[in-house]
Amino acid sequence: MSNQTNNENFVIYEVFSQKTVSASFVHQFSLLAPNAEVALSMARENFLRREPCFNLWVVKRDDIHGLPPEERPFLERLDNKSYRETKGYGDLQGRWRRHKDEYEAQHNTKSGS
Amino acid sequence: MNTQLEHSDLTEDAKMEAFLAKIDRGEKIEADDWMPDDYRNQLIKLISMHGISEIMGALPEKEWVPKAPTLRRKLAIMAKVQDEMGHGQLLLRVAEDLIAPLGKTREDIMQDLFAGRLKFHNVFHMEAPTWADAGVIGWLVDGAAIITQSMSLDTSYAPYARALHRICAEEKFHAQHGESIVLELAEGTEEQRQMLQESITRWWPSLLMFFGPPENGNITSNQASNMRYKIRSQTNEELRQIFLKKYLPRIFHLGFTVPDETIYFDEAEDKWIYQQPDWEEFKQIVKGKGPRSAHRLHLREMSYEETKWVRDAILSYGRQVG
Ligand SMILES: [Fe+2]
Ligand SMILES: [Fe+2]
Repeated sequence: MSNQTNNENFVIYEVFSQKTVSASFVHQFSLLAPNAEVALSMARENFLRREPCFNLWVVKRDDIHGLPPEERPFLERLDNKSYRETKGYGDLQGRWRRHKDEYEAQHNTKSGS
Repeated sequence: MNTQLEHSDLTEDAKMEAFLAKIDRGEKIEADDWMPDDYRNQLIKLISMHGISEIMGALPEKEWVPKAPTLRRKLAIMAKVQDEMGHGQLLLRVAEDLIAPLGKTREDIMQDLFAGRLKFHNVFHMEAPTWADAGVIGWLVDGAAIITQSMSLDTSYAPYARALHRICAEEKFHAQHGESIVLELAEGTEEQRQMLQESITRWWPSLLMFFGPPENGNITSNQASNMRYKIRSQTNEELRQIFLKKYLPRIFHLGFTVPDETIYFDEAEDKWIYQQPDWEEFKQIVKGKGPRSAHRLHLREMSYEETKWVRDAILSYGRQVG
């Protein structure tokens, strides 16, 4: 049946768009298209009827490599990485303040005292 | 976590147990996750029906694009029709990923529609003879759709949830587009008000039917399993009551009536007591025996046939350059 062959030639494209020049590309959704050119114009019709957009990508889904479901749980970060984050250094401000206060007490530099 | 790695070694029962536990923890299922056949089949039925309804739903309003009373109204209703086709595109993609492991494609969905195997919402089998119908469809049909779709925003199937997230944002515009037409007519001449009243009267049974038959205490096995799978979280009757509570007061505030002389709000029960529509007629309508079923299906099939040359031309161009 010619319709069936028709369909086999359409492939899935994943669509990514960028709102402004300084924004990251964000995945929108997928669509079915016969080639990249049609995919790009369909992406505009399907996903950008209202939203502002600076740039647009379409990528064949087959060209995207992702993690299989059984590996995804390992993406969850262990909760012992505070040394990598600013919140792991929350004591600094207080310590600086203490040194300042001690200094000012010793040298009587605080205004009004 | 090791149980995840050895997932393929698990028995079907153990997979099912892990699947349900995952849903109970509020986690979502992705297209490539293991899922029970029953879950897949429920989703296919629901989402292909939803997707096709979006596309068939554009047809009654499309009839009003050439006849819209002003340029602004024409642009707005064109935008709405275009949105509905876009919603169909999103949902068909979600359905395609679900039917792919069964060796099926979008072509099968379209052929199921043309052959009458795939149903679409009862409301889109009905006539829209006046401009007031264009308003009432946006106001009340889209209003009803917003209620069922908002419930499904939290569905356990992640790709459906993501599609609905986009869709619901646009549905709000559709409802306002409808309200704007309705208020214009309601604030207009006696003739305009009469046209609107006739439209509300015409659509009333269809709007009650939209949510499906009431459970009367017996939730169907379909509904029960969809609730167990967290595909949906509210029953037909619960959704219909949300609709009645939201829209009946507004119909009355505009000075209009619904064709139900005994309808009243029961304070103690906190629900509207209304006369049931003819549920036998509902069954016939969704079977494709509504007033406009055959005509709209024919239109859909014709446009599919008539645009075939475009698809063929694009494909042969693709082959030449690619
Ligand atoms: Fe829609
Ligand atoms: Fe809509």
